[in-house]
Amino acid sequence: MTLWPLALITFKEGIRNKALYGITLIALMLFGATALIATMIPREVGKVSIDMALSTISFTGLLLVFFVGINLMAKDLDKRTIYTVLSRPISRSQYIFGKFLGMALLIIVTMSALSLMAMSAIVLLKATHAEYFGRFSWSLITLAILFNILMLILLSAISFFFASFTTSSFITLVLTIITYIIGQSISSVKALVESSPQEIGITVSPVTLKMVKAAYYLFPNLSLFDIKLQAAHALTVPSSFVMWTIVYGLVYIALAITLAALIFRKKEFP
Amino acid sequence: MISIQGISKEFREGITLKRVRALQSLDLKIPRGEVFGFLGPNGAGKSTTIKILMNLIYSDSGTAEIGGKDVRDPDARKVVGYLPENPFFYDYLTADELLWFGGRTSGMHSRIVKERSDFLIHKVNLENSRKRPLRTYSKGMLQRAGLALALIHDPDVVILDEPMSGLDPIGRKMLGDLLIELKGQGKTVFFSSHILNDIERFSDRAGIIIDGKLRLVDTLSNLLSDGKNLEAVFMREVAASVKGTS
Repeated sequence: MTLWPLALITFKEGIRNKALYGITLIALMLFGATALIATMIPREVGKVSIDMALSTISFTGLLLVFFVGINLMAKDLDKRTIYTVLSRPISRSQYIFGKFLGMALLIIVTMSALSLMAMSAIVLLKATHAEYFGRFSWSLITLAILFNILMLILLSAISFFFASFTTSSFITLVLTIITYIIGQSISSVKALVESSPQEIGITVSPVTLKMVKAAYYLFPNLSLFDIKLQAAHALTVPSSFVMWTIVYGLVYIALAITLAALIFRKKEFP
Repeated sequence: MISIQGISKEFREGITLKRVRALQSLDLKIPRGEVFGFLGPNGAGKSTTIKILMNLIYSDSGTAEIGGKDVRDPDARKVVGYLPENPFFYDYLTADELLWFGGRTSGMHSRIVKERSDFLIHKVNLENSRKRPLRTYSKGMLQRAGLALALIHDPDVVILDEPMSGLDPIGRKMLGDLLIELKGQGKTVFFSSHILNDIERFSDRAGIIIDGKLRLVDTLSNLLSDGKNLEAVFMREVAASVKGTS
């Protein structure tokens, strides 16, 4: 009961943030650019437009998490608006859960709106260049968008985890960006060091191998959620992969938020 | 209604993490229906005491209870309304939304929250700005919105940290009337101030805290007996504190 009012005011505070107007404007410009650039490559209009539209959603989603989401919690700590919440019958753990629920709602609503814009751009291009949309699947595009939303919620959960023990929003932002970069590339790096890189002239020391393996299990594998390529080329995505990726995302989110709540219980607000 | 027993608190400051003692073995009991004024110079420990009562910071030792419940239990705050010093609220919310949040988190029905909001918005004179984002409010308006938030759930205990700061003369008069009204309703009020006149006008009992030590607690009638005034009592305690005598 106490979670919903907090989630709702978090959502309202986020959706009215002026930075969101800027993000929407960037998205609109990029969707416009998608239409222009895709038509420059006639035979690939279908693939390019889907890839660019999905990339725009990913990029603007990251801006949302980095510049609106992190601020939603950081401002509470910096400006002491958290007193407004904690002076009610709300525990510190409930604060984290309620705030995260509001943030997840903000991501879902904003990304759904941006996705509608992206789909409109694709519909427009499909109508004008129908002959280049041979292999095409709306369900794969929708799945790619859903995976992206899940990845953004996961990234947001990680930013909550960092915010629970850091003292400044800037440090939270830097740590979240680093996690994103590692999370996107760690799977490829692990595959590279575990293969036989000496054949292509790369020497990997045992220590590096262990560090990469440790990072692989510690950081979230965010590349799992990126199926833009499959969506653009209408390739088959196995249902077992879809199921396990969703389970992986949800378990990681639950872990990050539970840890954040446990750490936050000790935090003081002088 | 409010019980503080043996509370001590130290902070660590600066890069050397130097220990600064904020409160030393504080004992205080405030019975139901009393208006208690907490007086002390800046940095004496008034806000620290209040933040421990609101569970915003944790004491190093001792216990604090409100309405028989340990302050670490969130349920203890069901009966408490709190106004922080220099309140900050969410920029893009309106006063109406702020009060909705306060009422709903206290378990009130939406209809009751609406009725109570109308009453309090009128009381703190924010009718014309209730639909405006709080970031457009002046400091005094924020203070009044904070006061409405503290009272939205009709709490038995009201804790106000420097409530007069930032208020213009009309706002001060409004708050003074409100304190008298709360007293008439049998509410327990704990408010901090370094303005002697406010303590004299509104308190049944007052406590003087200096350097984290509660030096004196007595009824106003006793403190002001024999023609003494609160300023003389306060200055005597400050002087005694500097000399290190009790």
